[in-house]
Amino acid sequence: MKINQIYVNLPVKDIQKTKEFWTKTGFSINEQFSDDKAVCVVMSDNIYVMFLTEEYFQTFSERPVPKGDTTQVLVAIGLNSREEVDQVVNAAVANGATQHEEPQDYGWMYQNSFWDINGHGWNVTFADMSQLPTE
Amino acid sequence: MKINQIYVNLPVKDVQKTREFWTKLGFSINEQFSDEKAVSVVMKEDHIYAMFLNEKFFKTFTDRPIAKGDTTQTLLAIGVDSRKEVDNMVKTAIENGGSKYSEPQDHGWMYQNAFSDLNGHQWEVMFADMSQLPTE
Repeated sequence: MKINQIYVNLPVKDIQKTKEFWTKTGFSINEQFSDDKAVCVVMSDNIYVMFLTEEYFQTFSERPVPKGDTTQVLVAIGLNSREEVDQVVNAAVANGATQHEEPQDYGWMYQNSFWDINGHGWNVTFADMSQLPTE
Repeated sequence: MKINQIYVNLPVKDVQKTREFWTKLGFSINEQFSDEKAVSVVMKEDHIYAMFLNEKFFKTFTDRPIAKGDTTQTLLAIGVDSRKEVDNMVKTAIENGGSKYSEPQDHGWMYQNAFSDLNGHQWEVMFADMSQLPTE
């Protein structure tokens, strides 16, 4: 089984602010799937993140939206260089995100992370698979 | 900015049962990134992975407690290649300990069905025919 695309759906308080945040972080918006209730952030040709207002998000789940005091998901995204990793995290933090952990350098993988303005956690990575240690 | 890969990390109670569940749904496992603490499910080779981490291991990556399963922070929508694949996946999920939380929806250009997995994470499985997307 193979999937052809993924939409990671996350609840947010404010669509407009969320749209500005992700635009400033460097991503483009799919306007066709965005409106006043949702913004669709293009991560790649087949990977999207949909931020939905809590009210709209709530219509898709019978369980309540968490209040931001727990974690159910951490999304890790891979970029093409260490510079891109730091660029995205720095832009996020400059626009209201908070640094999560200190950057970590594993040699084959470099990782930095932030909590976005809605409290969702993002790990931003650059992996050089050719350097992955073999056991 | 474009990303090249996504790993959706989700906490689970039992890594082995989770591995069996996703294998039965037809997905393969990336053994290189799997061990007793985590299982890496390949959703689209080289691009899209779901990483299921046991709660203890997951906890090391966040300073907030793990959600107890009574709230929803994320809904994961995944696209497959036909309506049949959508229904097959949902059916297999339910036969193997998943549960149904909504009815299938047919939007014409998009067909969608959904299941809640063993660990209560909610998956919306869809087939979209973009050529049929209504234009306004």
